[in-house]
Amino acid sequence: MTVVIGFEGSANKIGIGIIRDGEVLSNPRRTYITPPGQGFMPSDTARHHRAVILTVLKEALEQAGLKPADIDCVAYTKGPGMGAPLVTVALVARTVAQLWGKPLLGVNHCIGHIEMGRLITKANNPTVLYVSGGNTQVIAYSERRYRIFGETIDIAVGNCLDRFARVIKISNDPSPGYNIEQMAKKGSQYVELPYTVKGMDVSFSGILSYIEEAANKMLSSGQCTAEDLCFSLQETVFSMLVEITERAMAHCGSQEVLIVGGVGCNLRLQEMMGVMCQERGAKLFATDERFCIDNGAMIAQAGWEMFRSGQVTELEDSWITQRYRTDEVEVTWRD
Amino acid sequence: METDGETNQESGKLEFSLDVPFPSAREASIALRSLSPDREPRKGGITKHLTVAGSTLSVRWSADEARILRVSVNSFLDHLKLVLETMEMFGPPVDL
Repeated sequence: MTVVIGFEGSANKIGIGIIRDGEVLSNPRRTYITPPGQGFMPSDTARHHRAVILTVLKEALEQAGLKPADIDCVAYTKGPGMGAPLVTVALVARTVAQLWGKPLLGVNHCIGHIEMGRLITKANNPTVLYVSGGNTQVIAYSERRYRIFGETIDIAVGNCLDRFARVIKISNDPSPGYNIEQMAKKGSQYVELPYTVKGMDVSFSGILSYIEEAANKMLSSGQCTAEDLCFSLQETVFSMLVEITERAMAHCGSQEVLIVGGVGCNLRLQEMMGVMCQERGAKLFATDERFCIDNGAMIAQAGWEMFRSGQVTELEDSWITQRYRTDEVEVTWRD
Repeated sequence: METDGETNQESGKLEFSLDVPFPSAREASIALRSLSPDREPRKGGITKHLTVAGSTLSVRWSADEARILRVSVNSFLDHLKLVLETMEMFGPPVDL
């Protein structure tokens, strides 16, 4: 049996999870929630993480019913993400690894999402849509790499949604994306927005600028409601994501789609992707908010795979990195 | 904990030093190895050097500007505090 503890804190969530051979033993998490209209800044987010990380660690061990001696490896997020929050989490991971005399393992955050999605859904070799506040990528596995087939050329889809939420002062509790999703259900009028698919890539910054201006004009003149804008924004950006995912599937001859990342728990995105999959005779895999949204277990799971294939990270090499592409990692645990 | 700060007359650089006592040499070394891997976020204008002698962790800064020095020292103190709290809650270190 191999038990891995995973530390995640690359953005506004801090989570610590423990995995024993594919079984999630515990996965507590805290979210730094800012007031409506405000994003989360690196130093404030790091302060939040510093204040709660040791309590979360205690919870993770207690809920799993384990002692430090039962753990085989300490995994943490090496990147990508915000520098200050990443350092906070890495510091605690390095310290407990040394106190407990356990090996340390730096994990790519994106790989964590993919491996957690594969574990929970049992998808075998899916085309992966990874959509969150910081990342938007279409990924397929080939020859020991998770290869990026398409991605955003500017901001992430979740960043576009979050920043739109700030413009019209939608609450960040539990998350701006969740609240947009609920409001979108009440939208009835489709406001046409730019549709910006560029080959296999997508762009969201122009859509954001356009809808920011539209919001200011159309809401004050009563031409549409905030709910209409939420609906229109979701329909537009999700259509773009479904389009590039379908094209990647056609390229790879793949019959499986796995959606991971925080935006992946949006049920409207899952529904639209499901329609496309049904038309192609393909299968859709998705997870709920426990595993889609950043969490510690996903780092533990990727760490488990890496550790079992013989990888460890020496302390000297355990620096964090804000940029760390999915295809930089050699996948030593798959054929 | 001891601190000292001055302007080096020869190089014109601002220097700051910090000595932190630990219960044992082992714990001082753990703190050193936890706090060392990450580079200073800013390229140039500041250097930070960590060493351990016995059970004391020593840090020496040398910077061009007070503003940069203050940011680095503040951030180091936040990190040090977190490492100390982690040791308190999840230590002492196991026998190797």
